[in-house]
Amino acid sequence: MAPAIELIGITKRFPGVIANDNINLTVEEGEVHAICGENGAGKSTLMKILYGMQPADEGVMKVFGEEVTFGSPNDAIDRGIGMVHQHLMLADQMSVIENVILGSEPTKGGGIIDFDAAKAHLAEVGSAYGLTVDPDDMIDTLEIGERQRVEIIKVLYRGAKVLILDEPTAVLVPQEVEELFNNLRELKADGATIIFIDHKLQEVLEISDSITVIRRGKTIATVKASDVTAGDLAELMVGEELPSPATGDSTVTTDVALEVNGLTVLDDDERAVVDDVSLKVHRGEILGIAGIEGNGQSELINAIVGTWSANSGNVRMAGKDITTASVRDRREAGLGYVPQDRHREGLLLDAPLWENAALGHQTGAPYSKGFWIDRASSRDHTGTIRSEFDVRSPNVDVSARALSGGNQQKLIIGREMTAHPDVLIAAHPTRGIDVGAQADVWNQIRAARAEGLATLLISADLDELIGLSDTIVVMYHGKLVATLDPSEIDPRTLGSYMTGAALSDASATDPGPSELSGDPS
Amino acid sequence: MTWLTNLPAWARWAGAAALGMLLLTIVQSVSGTELLTEEGTAQAMVRWSIPILLAGLGGLYSERAGIVNIGLEGMMILGTWFGAWGALNWGPWGGLLAGLVGGALGGLLHAIATVSFGVDQIISGVAINILAPGLTRYLSERVFSGEAGGSVSQSPRVDGFDSFTVPGLADGLGTIRDQDIFWISDMAGFARGLVAEMSFFTLFGLLMVPLSGWLLWKTKVGLRLRICGENPIAGESLGVNIYGHKYLGVIISGALSGLAGAFIVLELAGLYRGGQTTGRGFIGLAALVFGNWRAIGVLAGSLLFSYPFGLSLVDFNAESSGEATRAVLLVIAIALVGVAVWAFRANKRNDVILAGLIAAIALIWYLSTDTAASWLPNTMPYALVLIVLFFASQRLRGPRTAGLPYRKGET
Repeated sequence: MAPAIELIGITKRFPGVIANDNINLTVEEGEVHAICGENGAGKSTLMKILYGMQPADEGVMKVFGEEVTFGSPNDAIDRGIGMVHQHLMLADQMSVIENVILGSEPTKGGGIIDFDAAKAHLAEVGSAYGLTVDPDDMIDTLEIGERQRVEIIKVLYRGAKVLILDEPTAVLVPQEVEELFNNLRELKADGATIIFIDHKLQEVLEISDSITVIRRGKTIATVKASDVTAGDLAELMVGEELPSPATGDSTVTTDVALEVNGLTVLDDDERAVVDDVSLKVHRGEILGIAGIEGNGQSELINAIVGTWSANSGNVRMAGKDITTASVRDRREAGLGYVPQDRHREGLLLDAPLWENAALGHQTGAPYSKGFWIDRASSRDHTGTIRSEFDVRSPNVDVSARALSGGNQQKLIIGREMTAHPDVLIAAHPTRGIDVGAQADVWNQIRAARAEGLATLLISADLDELIGLSDTIVVMYHGKLVATLDPSEIDPRTLGSYMTGAALSDASATDPGPSELSGDPS
Repeated sequence: MTWLTNLPAWARWAGAAALGMLLLTIVQSVSGTELLTEEGTAQAMVRWSIPILLAGLGGLYSERAGIVNIGLEGMMILGTWFGAWGALNWGPWGGLLAGLVGGALGGLLHAIATVSFGVDQIISGVAINILAPGLTRYLSERVFSGEAGGSVSQSPRVDGFDSFTVPGLADGLGTIRDQDIFWISDMAGFARGLVAEMSFFTLFGLLMVPLSGWLLWKTKVGLRLRICGENPIAGESLGVNIYGHKYLGVIISGALSGLAGAFIVLELAGLYRGGQTTGRGFIGLAALVFGNWRAIGVLAGSLLFSYPFGLSLVDFNAESSGEATRAVLLVIAIALVGVAVWAFRANKRNDVILAGLIAAIALIWYLSTDTAASWLPNTMPYALVLIVLFFASQRLRGPRTAGLPYRKGET
């Protein structure tokens, strides 16, 4: 029997990156096949290719043994492939049945929708796969787990035999995950083939039959779930690389520069995305936060910087409570911030460099005098940043867009550092920049650390985290779940903490209550 | 109160209308006028509500497709000119069709700008509102100014549609009216105004209400059009042609606005005249919001907003000089006291204060005059729009992505 899905040599290039590099994947009919990998490993791109949303540059796709090319999702749907997107594709103000039939409405002729036939078919599909929904419910009255069920039914309604679920558990609470897994088992028992994208290893091991690991756009291995442990998977996912950016001697003092106590941030659905987080950063210390993206790091730094408000808990700088202070007050009190997305949050791309340098510091010298912006002095000071931080540009009047990513980042670092902050929040400071610029950024952070700067470092680059940090805390599902010493850990172990794999392992073998406390101090 | 929300929409609106009639009847009995529930008032109200209704329905199609259409007014202006031109050449039906096409061309322009080129929807709409009067003035100079009675700002007179009276029903209602039973006879008389001497165009406009509701909520094309306003990305992921349906919605929107313009020319003015739409397109948008983006709600809003104007037509003449319009102030005061009580129970302090304040002003005004000023009826629809939207807009929910740009393939 031919496999349900066979991908041979799939390659997809975007400007500057190879998202998928000669990927091979075989999914047997009737199995749950997980695709694992870090964020940015190329899983989503691969699934978009399989669902016809993007064409592959090279490679062959076979569905039930037949070679296919998809021009749009409709072609994939026709071949029995359906996708449940991570961000649910539902219209909140429409009913379940309207959402389900959209695009393939049964009609009585003359374009009149036959709602009775639609409901009958829906009930048929529902009972065949053990999924129940009320067709007349409005989507916005449903829980998130029920909405996901509607998405799955939507796919089944179209006769899909292969379901792709893109990180379906990301939005669910544990009970809902359990319910989803029961539904998936039932679907599998009824003959459906399921491709399950995830990076939470425990979940992957629980639900899947086979697992394919993707790293940096390449297929690393396909294994049977019964043959591997979470540790093996973590090793496959993260790979083994040597740490490089060592910080040298400790400069950590006992002065607490930034203190976060019991901080909780709720999202729109009232779920705790940051859950009772406490941490302390001392002068001269770099505290690294490790975690797979989406585990609450962004919300944590937003709450510290002041762009989001905390629901409970407090943030203190040098002992002073700044929990309700405005962003400007925080910055004027000595908080520096290197945002994770320099294009969206860090720069005005079409403004000249000197205006960009003044951003966030526009209220005082050297950028302004009283009410007025001091252009001469701003230009002058930007020139200093340019030379000291090696921002390669013809002058300070070119737009920020004209700079390469590395030089943009050095401008941001220079902007923050020349204001001599007491606390620096650095989110992915070297993401997407070349090796040379990366080394410069590391040097700047290290130099500031020697002068007593307290740094909170968030990074997906494990080498960077281990190399720069004095202490590493691991964030998982909004909580700080482990405190680790970077001198005693390698990326593989850290990776297994981040994916939650080591947590159950560690508690079984070497619990150490101090190691699991949320407070690194 | 759940039984109330479980009633079908038409039943709720009918109930609201009956209560409104009761209020009018009571006010009428204390303020010595009979015009509030007169047959003539009802007739005028319906006639004057049709342009607002058609524009509002136009807005419904456009916003349900995710495109805010502030250019309804401009499309209506195109409808007036083309309506007059069509009627001069081919009679009333020609006028109706030409107005429809003229408005649809305006809609097409808006669709090209906003859907294909991603122009900001408000800016494109305003541009059409500015473009339309200029264009029609130019066309008038080329076409009308040479003809008898025509000029750069005016067309020769045109003929409207014949009117008819619904047989049987009108007689029956007339009989009930003559019985002189409190409230019941008033309602019958008022209702008779709705079915007597109705023009074919008026009937055509009213039929657009159930037709639109049916088309948007019961057919395939309607469902696909509505997904454009709710979640176009979801529609795209299921293979719905989002651009096509957005175009369709906006063009229908223009066509209905054009019909509204043709109605003004054929049924209300009897000729094309520059500036004769007087902001009805915007009142149509207000009726759309008041009606919670539903066809029957738009009808209710149009009738409500055109009531003071319809009343003024029978109230300001040789025998009467504004007594009935003055009585409307008392109606507003009582209604707002009702709103204040409701807001108090819902614990909305600001609403209580605002409603109480306006009610007090209306009451003082009512008590301190004998007749209303002649400018009041012209102002009242606009004031009414503001007051109603103040209190109603908090619980209204329009299409989720109306007004937002949409590009295929972007998530």
